[in-house]
Amino acid sequence: MTRRGFLKRGLLGGTILVVGGGLGLGLWPSQLTYKSKRALSVLDERRFGILAAVAARVVRAPGADPVEIAHRVDAVFATAVPEAKKDLQQLLLLFDNALAGLLFDGRPRPFTALDGDAQDRVLLAWRDSKLAVRRGGYQALRKLCLSAHYSQPSTWESVGYPGPPQLQIPT
Amino acid sequence: MPLTQAPQGFVDATQFRPPEATVDVCIIGSGAGGAVTAATLAAAGLSVVVLEEGGKYSKTDFKMREDIAFPQLYQESGSRATKDLGVTILQGRAVGGTTVVNWTTSFRTPEDVVAHWKKVHGVGGFSYSDLSPHWDAVEERLNIKQIGLEETNRNNRTLYDGMKALGWEVSTTRRNTRQCMKSGYCGLGCPVDAKQSMLITYLPDAVEKGAVVVSRCRVDKLRVEAGKVVAAACSEIGPDGYTPTGRQLEVKARRFVVSAGAINSPALLIRSGLGGGMVGRRTFLHPVVGVASVFKDPIEPFYGAPQSVASHHFAHRGDDVGLFLEAAPLQPMMAAIAAAGFGDGHQKIMAQLSKMAAHIALAIDGFHPSENGGTVEVRPSGAPLLDYPIPPRIRAAHREGLKILAKIDLAAGAQVVYSPHDPPIEIRSEKDIAQLDNAKMGVNEVNTFSAHVMGGCGMGDDPKTSVVRSSDLRHHTVENLHVVDGSVFPTSLGVNPQESIYGLARLMATRFASEWKKA
Repeated sequence: MTRRGFLKRGLLGGTILVVGGGLGLGLWPSQLTYKSKRALSVLDERRFGILAAVAARVVRAPGADPVEIAHRVDAVFATAVPEAKKDLQQLLLLFDNALAGLLFDGRPRPFTALDGDAQDRVLLAWRDSKLAVRRGGYQALRKLCLSAHYSQPSTWESVGYPGPPQLQIPT
Repeated sequence: MPLTQAPQGFVDATQFRPPEATVDVCIIGSGAGGAVTAATLAAAGLSVVVLEEGGKYSKTDFKMREDIAFPQLYQESGSRATKDLGVTILQGRAVGGTTVVNWTTSFRTPEDVVAHWKKVHGVGGFSYSDLSPHWDAVEERLNIKQIGLEETNRNNRTLYDGMKALGWEVSTTRRNTRQCMKSGYCGLGCPVDAKQSMLITYLPDAVEKGAVVVSRCRVDKLRVEAGKVVAAACSEIGPDGYTPTGRQLEVKARRFVVSAGAINSPALLIRSGLGGGMVGRRTFLHPVVGVASVFKDPIEPFYGAPQSVASHHFAHRGDDVGLFLEAAPLQPMMAAIAAAGFGDGHQKIMAQLSKMAAHIALAIDGFHPSENGGTVEVRPSGAPLLDYPIPPRIRAAHREGLKILAKIDLAAGAQVVYSPHDPPIEIRSEKDIAQLDNAKMGVNEVNTFSAHVMGGCGMGDDPKTSVVRSSDLRHHTVENLHVVDGSVFPTSLGVNPQESIYGLARLMATRFASEWKKA
């Protein structure tokens, strides 16, 4: 098995995923509250559910829809380079992983099985981690969810953006 | 079946059949370097084919929406980043390259930078005065003119006013526009053809003189035989703009000019077996940090000429890394990425968007002997990846830049200045600025961007320290291969790069034209 990309950059993470399988904790299933509404292009149902659960905590804006956000991220990744697709897939599993949670932060449960406040603490633990790779993972998930939300015209009113002007094009 | 007539004008790869005959020049990339080179060579009567990986769009495609523009017009849909994810890189990918999405800021290369290249990097093939007539010509063609202070938007005006209040040097920028309506959407493709990008200037000029510009045609590698490039091996890209259709094509030419930008050009050389040495080394980014400051009155950072004020007051800081200061537009998606945090705290910042100004400090990297910039690698799929761990001395400059920006915005009347940390440091008065002294500045601890990628195929007269010769940007060992784009700069520039690339490309293409017509 080769492990390139995200986990290779965070060697510790890669080790944990492998060991985690052996110990069982890493196999603790994700608790999928959110299900896809359409066909997926890059993510499977488990990863989709993890991403939507992250989106539900990251984007607390009025009208935010975690399922739609996750679908938009999935659609954007359809055209990503193969290594970036793999990075996202690995990152989502690692983010949810119970054994990784235990070893990193003393939390022996998957992210998706926690309540909202506990999920926020996981995001903060990644944000403030001593490991640059975990901070990068937090920033990547944060930016993906936020950009998928705020790129939509339906969000503009909530931030006081009137939208593109009607331009009278000079002839 | 071969076409009886040679292809002409702007064509999509699906419609393109490579000419049977060997063309004079094949140019890879249609941005600032490729377009000017194509126009100059075509005008001299040489047959030119330009191959561009991105799509061909026009003003009617530019809908002023981030969700549409980023996948169409930016490398990796706008999500290009350095290897450790520490720097988000905004780089164009379309016919016209980054010039389609840049913010129009136009500077000639500073004279002291050209002198530094000569002294330190063995760039002896041209002088500053050699470039001057070419800048004159480009400024004429692109209508590069200084914007009046009364034409700036509030986002830029607050930067100007704050700096003036502190007695610091600042001025309005020169911009490549004609009949600009100041809508604010330069970064999403100009919807009224006011921005004089390559898409509506030098590329049509080239086409008028017989050049062919092929869109959605990715060059996978240059085929090198007996020390010469014989063909560009390409993949046709499908309707989504990214996925190859499976159709391969080859363009044969007497000479090849690589103008794919400072990340993609070295990657192409590496994929072609021409890596090693300095290829992909010394890549510079003008790494950017910024503040978002909330004012009492509306700023509307999403409207108006997005970048119309700049300061080089802090460009020369002795042994410390220099900085230049500018404004950046904020439309909701970019604002959301730039704003720190998540959840309710993030939305609280976003709700103030219309009263927010965004001011940035760009670090002038690559001038200190200890600084080697980044390194371009090629991933297993062939896609490039830039590794650029930001060195402590640039982080020190960033910290200083944030303190300077906070001071400026407070002087301009900001109620609160948000630092790019997560969570942001909130600065409401002079005494709060000291908090930045202890702020963490590590990778992914402070939001960092780049929109200026330079270096990676550096020019110079010593093959050990450079990739191309400075007299004609020719590869040191492959005699019919040239590199003409921002990748040849031996350092960063200390100014927005577009005009430096135009001027150098026009000088070099003029030299090529007189030389190659003889052949």
